[in-house]
Amino acid sequence: MKGFGYLVKEGFKNIWSNRIMSIASVCVLVSCLVLTGAAALFSLNVTKLVDEVGDSNETIVYIDSSYTSLEGVYVGKEIEKLPNVTSATFYSKDEAFEQYRETLGDSLFERIEDNPLPDSIIVVMDDLSKYDETVAEIQKIPGVDADTILNRRDFADRLTRVSNLVNLISIAVVSALFVISLFIIANTIRTTMYSRRFEISIMKSVGATNAFVRMPFLVEGMVLGLISAVLASGALALVYEGIGMVVENAQSTFTFIPYLTVLPFVAAAFALFGICVGFAGGFISIRKYLKMEGNEILGW
Amino acid sequence: MIDFRNVSKTYPNGTHALNDVSLHIEKGEFVFIVGASGAGKSTFLKLIMREEIPTSGEIIINGNKLSRLRRRDVPYLRRHMGIVFQDFRLIEKMTVFDNVAFAMRAVGESSATIKKRVPYVLNLVGLKDKMKNKPSELSGGEQQRVSLARALVNNPEIIVADEPTGNVDPELSHEIIELLNEINAMGTTVLVVTHEHELVREFHQRVIAIDHGRVVGDTGSVTEDGYSEPAESADEGFTDDLGDLEIDIDKLDIDQGFAPGSLDGEPESEGETALPQYPDNVERIPD
Repeated sequence: MKGFGYLVKEGFKNIWSNRIMSIASVCVLVSCLVLTGAAALFSLNVTKLVDEVGDSNETIVYIDSSYTSLEGVYVGKEIEKLPNVTSATFYSKDEAFEQYRETLGDSLFERIEDNPLPDSIIVVMDDLSKYDETVAEIQKIPGVDADTILNRRDFADRLTRVSNLVNLISIAVVSALFVISLFIIANTIRTTMYSRRFEISIMKSVGATNAFVRMPFLVEGMVLGLISAVLASGALALVYEGIGMVVENAQSTFTFIPYLTVLPFVAAAFALFGICVGFAGGFISIRKYLKMEGNEILGW
Repeated sequence: MIDFRNVSKTYPNGTHALNDVSLHIEKGEFVFIVGASGAGKSTFLKLIMREEIPTSGEIIINGNKLSRLRRRDVPYLRRHMGIVFQDFRLIEKMTVFDNVAFAMRAVGESSATIKKRVPYVLNLVGLKDKMKNKPSELSGGEQQRVSLARALVNNPEIIVADEPTGNVDPELSHEIIELLNEINAMGTTVLVVTHEHELVREFHQRVIAIDHGRVVGDTGSVTEDGYSEPAESADEGFTDDLGDLEIDIDKLDIDQGFAPGSLDGEPESEGETALPQYPDNVERIPD
């Protein structure tokens, strides 16, 4: 398009001459984006957790404490004979104790004389859809502590449900925020446009095309969106790292997805979102003016 | 160039602004459109600019039927026209140069072209020295010349001036019309809407009178020998509606009468532009 540079410059001029509203709309847009981003990252992390839990496809079967470890090994062999069981690995209480000591630190275990942990068998199944039947079979085997089969899949299921709920809420929140952002940007641009209506009327009278008249306002919207995206990417980093630190301190088995690995996607998504909202906002607010002619634009 | 064929315009509120108007304006003509306020002049201009579309009838500009013109082609129609407004419509915060350049930027001209063309046009209207001034630092007459420069800068085939002298001191009104006359001499069709009869009388050009939405008088196009045959509707209109007219059609009639003689003295302006010679026909009219 001819005069593109001029139009882009005009767009930036619009932002500057209307800076209070521009700042306000950037603030709103940044909040929207950070909330959206936080929701998206939360759901990503939950998905990761679910994957870690679900993919491992391990069911832990505890051995009745009245059984010795040797007897426990035989219980494992019995389990392994069942259909749909790929492997049943005996995991002694001593190993488990060592494992805990390694992850949680020696100090906690100094005073514990007796190992309170039971022997267990890690069962991997072939087909998870037959999970319930298989568990029922396992429970019938003597020596199995039938009440305490740690149903990891249940946990995964619950996580998935939570994650779905979060996704659903996120989508609702994001859509609401999208509408709000759109409204704010459209309003900001409408203010600029109102202050420039005189120029618009002259432009139209000398034969400027609608695309040409529209351009600076679209640029204005898109630049506002882009600025918001950059700021929001930074702000989300702070929020995310903060939450991540708290969570990882509280329980160490799960690590958050590091922000740097998702940053390119977050930034790209924010930029896309911001630009789209800005474009749409500009488009919506100028539409009314473009339909008007002559003095109508000036409100005479 | 401009053709109105049985054009009527009724606004949604029921106002009949124009009623069965037919007229033809040739390329290169200078035409005054006169009429009292509310007579339909503004509607006439809006129809030419295609800010409004007629309720019935057809308008043809440059061979384009406006009723067939697509919305997105309207800007290109307007590029053939330069509009001069009564209130100048200059952008206060821009310099004279930028005001004129604005019209070129709006149609996507390059800065290089703008830098060459704007001073040329400002020179044409005698404002080369005021290029860096703001409109508020200029007199009304000068502001109107800036507005005229802006209308001219995209080299339109038609200049449409809506009461160009309305906000200008009377003694400077001549200058504006004279300038339009010179522009006309260079081949641009000029349409001037006005209700200032003094001016109309001074410049012997075609006059179309509008009243109550009808063309009630048309002197026909002006040739070097004076007016050519008056348009047919003229006589009819003059006799029929004479009584209702707020404008002084009698005087128009007189103009028409004396025109052939008095035009002899008026030079075809050739561009020795500096000081326009005002024909003092007013005094010569036997009132």
